[in-house]
Amino acid sequence: MNLAEGVQIVSFGILAVMMIGTALGVVLLPNIVYSAFLLGGVFISIAGMYLLLNADFVAAAQVLIYIGAVNVLILFAIMLVNKREDFAPLRNAWVRPVFTGLVSVGLFALLGTMVLVTPWALSTQVSAGDSAIFLIGQHFFTDFLLPFELASILLLMAMVGAIILARREFLPDQVMSPTKQQPILTLPERPRELVSVSSDKSSNLDDGRRG
Amino acid sequence: MQLQYFLLLAAALFCIGIYGLVTSRNAVRVLMSIELLLNAVNLNLMAFSNFIDPQAIKGQVFTVFVITVEAAEAAVGLAIILAIYRNRDTVDMEQFNLLKW
Amino acid sequence: MDFANLAAQLNAGTILPEGIVIITLLVVLVGDLIVGRSASRWLPYVAIAGLLSAIAALYLQWDNTNPVSFFGAFNSDDLSVIFRGIIALSATVTILMSIRYIEQSGTAMAEFMTILLTATLGGMFLSGASELVMIFISLETLSISSYLLTGYTKRDPRSNEAALKYLLIGAASTAVFLYGVSLLYGLSGGETQLSAIAVGLNSANAGQSLALVISLVFVIAGIAFKISAAPFHQWTPDVYEGAPTPVIAFLSVGSKAAGFALAIRLMTTAFPLLTDEWHFVFTALAVLSMILGNVVALAQTTMKRMLAYSSIAQAGFIMIGLIAGTDAGYASMVFYLLVYLFMNLGGFSCVILFSLRTGTDQISEYSGLYQKDPLLTLCLSICLLSLGGIPPLAGFFGKIYLFWAGWQAGLYGLVLLGLVTTVVSIYYYIRVVRMMVVKEPQEVSDAVRNYPEVRWDLPGMRPLQVGLVLSLVATSLAGILSNPLFTLANNSITNTSTLQPAVVSSVGTQVDVNQTQPLID
Repeated sequence: MNLAEGVQIVSFGILAVMMIGTALGVVLLPNIVYSAFLLGGVFISIAGMYLLLNADFVAAAQVLIYIGAVNVLILFAIMLVNKREDFAPLRNAWVRPVFTGLVSVGLFALLGTMVLVTPWALSTQVSAGDSAIFLIGQHFFTDFLLPFELASILLLMAMVGAIILARREFLPDQVMSPTKQQPILTLPERPRELVSVSSDKSSNLDDGRRG
Repeated sequence: MQLQYFLLLAAALFCIGIYGLVTSRNAVRVLMSIELLLNAVNLNLMAFSNFIDPQAIKGQVFTVFVITVEAAEAAVGLAIILAIYRNRDTVDMEQFNLLKW
Repeated sequence: MDFANLAAQLNAGTILPEGIVIITLLVVLVGDLIVGRSASRWLPYVAIAGLLSAIAALYLQWDNTNPVSFFGAFNSDDLSVIFRGIIALSATVTILMSIRYIEQSGTAMAEFMTILLTATLGGMFLSGASELVMIFISLETLSISSYLLTGYTKRDPRSNEAALKYLLIGAASTAVFLYGVSLLYGLSGGETQLSAIAVGLNSANAGQSLALVISLVFVIAGIAFKISAAPFHQWTPDVYEGAPTPVIAFLSVGSKAAGFALAIRLMTTAFPLLTDEWHFVFTALAVLSMILGNVVALAQTTMKRMLAYSSIAQAGFIMIGLIAGTDAGYASMVFYLLVYLFMNLGGFSCVILFSLRTGTDQISEYSGLYQKDPLLTLCLSICLLSLGGIPPLAGFFGKIYLFWAGWQAGLYGLVLLGLVTTVVSIYYYIRVVRMMVVKEPQEVSDAVRNYPEVRWDLPGMRPLQVGLVLSLVATSLAGILSNPLFTLANNSITNTSTLQPAVVSSVGTQVDVNQTQPLID
C-alpha cells in the first residue's frame, strides 16, 4: 500500500462518513429491509478501512463472510419471518430511545476521551504489508493452532445445532402416544397459569408497565 | 493517518451498536446491532495490529477468529429467531414476555 | 523445523482429556447417524464413559511439571486440572439426570449429548486457556452450545424465548468483553498471552491509565455475565425457567465453574497492576449478588426460578474467595465449587424427578410429598439444607471455609453481609422442606395426591436414581469426611505456579512462563 498520504486521508474520510451514516441507518430506519441492506454498507466500508490498514486478506475475508454469509443470512431471515407487522405502540415510547441515546453519547464521550488521552505505544517497524497472508498462515499453525482446531469443533456444533433448531418438524400435533403425557418437544413443566401461549392479545394490556 | 482516528471511529460504531441493541423492537435488528458491536471490536483490533504490532500482526489473526465465530453465532441466532417465530408468529421483543423479566 | 521438534514444543499431551471428550462427541454424533434412532439406548452411556475416562486422564495430569502447551495458549496447571475435573464431573451427572427427561420430551438424544459434550469441552478449555484468542474461542464454544441447549425443546415458546434472550444478552456481553480485550491487546503493545500482557502493561507504564480501567471493567462485565453475578444476572431467572432442567443443572455448575476459572486466571495473571481496582469491582458484584439473589428468591413461587436466584446468591458467596486473593481464598473457592457441584446437581435431580412425575415445578405443589415419596423428599431436603449451609452437611463446611478465608484477608464487612444473607437464604430453603413434610391431609397438593406409583424400572429412570443417590451420599458425607476434598483444593492452589507470584503481586517473576514464545520469527 503506497497510496499517497492525501489519497489515504480522503478515502478514510469518505469511508468514515459512509460507515457512520449506514450504521445510523441500520439502527434508526423503521423498515427492517432497508436496515439489512445498509448493514452491507457498513461491512463494505469496514472492509475499505482494513485496506487502509494494510490488511488485504482480512478485508477479503470481511467481504466474503460478512457480506456473503452473514448479511445474506439476515436477509433470508427477514424474508422467512416476512410478516408486515406494525408493532403495538407503547406508552411512554419516547423515553427509552432518548435515555439510551444519552447513555450512548456519554459512553462515546468516555471512550473518545480514553482514546485521546492514552499514550499508545506506537511501533516504528514497517508493516508486514503483502506478506501478511503468510504471517497469518504461520500463526494459525504455530501459536494459534489450538484455537484454530477448537474453532472447527465450534463450527461443527453451530451447524448441527442451527439445523436442529431451524428444521421444521412435521409432527401430528394432537396425536400422542399413550405413554407420553406431554406434547412433544416441550418442557415437562406446565406453564404458569397467568401466562398462556396465545397471550399476544391479552398481554398488550400490561405492556406499558415496562415501557 | 493516525491510530486515534480509527479508534474513535470504532468507539462511535460501538456506541451506535449499543443504542440499537437497547432500542430495537425487532429481534432481527437486535442481531444486526450485535454485528455492529463486533465490527467495532474488529476495527479496534485491526488498528492496533497495524500501528502497534505491525510485524507479528496478531490482531489480524484475532479478527479472523472473531469473524469466524460471529458467523456461527449469527446462524444460531437466526435459527432461534425462526423457531420462536413459528411458535409465536411475531419477532417483536416486547411480546416475548412469557417469562417475566 | 522438523516435525518432531514441533510436536515436542506443542506439548500436546496436556490436552489428552479434551481429546477424549472430542473423540466421544464424534462417536456419539457419527454413531447416531450410522445406527439410527435405536442408538439412543446406549449413546448416553458412551458419553458417560468418555467423560469418566477424561476425568481419569485428568488425574494423570496432576502435578504436571511442564504444564504450558501450544506455545502458551493452554496451561494445564493444577488449578486448571481441578476446574476441568469439576466441569467434566458436572457434565457426567447432568447426563445421568437428562436421559429420562430427553426421552419424555421427545427430543433427539444424540444431538443433545453432542451439544452438551461440546459445552463441556468449551468449559474445560476455558479453564486452562492462558491466551486471549484461546479464551475467546473456548468461551464462545461454551456459550453457543449453551444457547443451543437452552432452545432445545423447540416447540415450547418458553424455551424459545429463553434461548433468544440468552443469545442476545450473551452475544452483547461477549462483544463488550471483546472490546475490553482489544484494548488490552493495544495497551500491552500487541501481546495476546496473559503473562506477556502483564509484562507489556508494566513496561508501558499503563498502570493507572483510563484505558486500562475501562478495559478491566469491560472484561469483568463479560465474566460476570458467565458467572451470573448481579447486575449482569437478568438472563438467569428467565433461562432457568425456560430451558430444559438438565441444561440449567449444567449451566449452574459447569458454566459457572468455567467462568470462575477464567476470572481467577485473567485477573491474577493479566491485571496484577490493578489489584485494588478489580477487588473493588468484584466486591460490588458480590454485595449486589448476595443481597439481590437471596432477597428475590424469597418471593419466588416456582422451584426453577428459586434455584436461579439461589445460584446468583451462591455466585456472590464464591466471589468472597476471589476477593480475598490469598491461597486460602482461592482454595476455598475450589472447595466450595466441589461441594456445590454435588448439592446443586442433587437438587436439580430432585426437581427433574418431581416434574417428570407430576408435570409441574410450583413450590406449593410439593406439599405433602413426604407421604408419597420419602426418598425424593429426603434427597431434596438434604440438598437444599446443604445449599443453605446447615451443619453438618457439605455446604456448611464450604461456607465456613469461604468466610474464614475472607475474614483472614480482612474482608469483615463482606463476611458479615454473607452471614446475614445466609440466614435469609436458610429461610427460603427451609420453606420448601417444611412444605414437603407437612402432615395434614387437607394441605396435600393435587399434584401429590395424584402422584404416580414410584417406579424405577422405566427406561431412563435407573441412571436418574444413580445420580440422585450419588449426589445425596456425596452431599451428606462430604461434610463429615471433607478432609480429602480440602487437601485436594489446597494442593491445586499451592501447586499452581502462576498463582503463587500473583498472590504477592509481583510481575517480574512471571516472565519464565513466557519462554515458549512463538517460533515464527
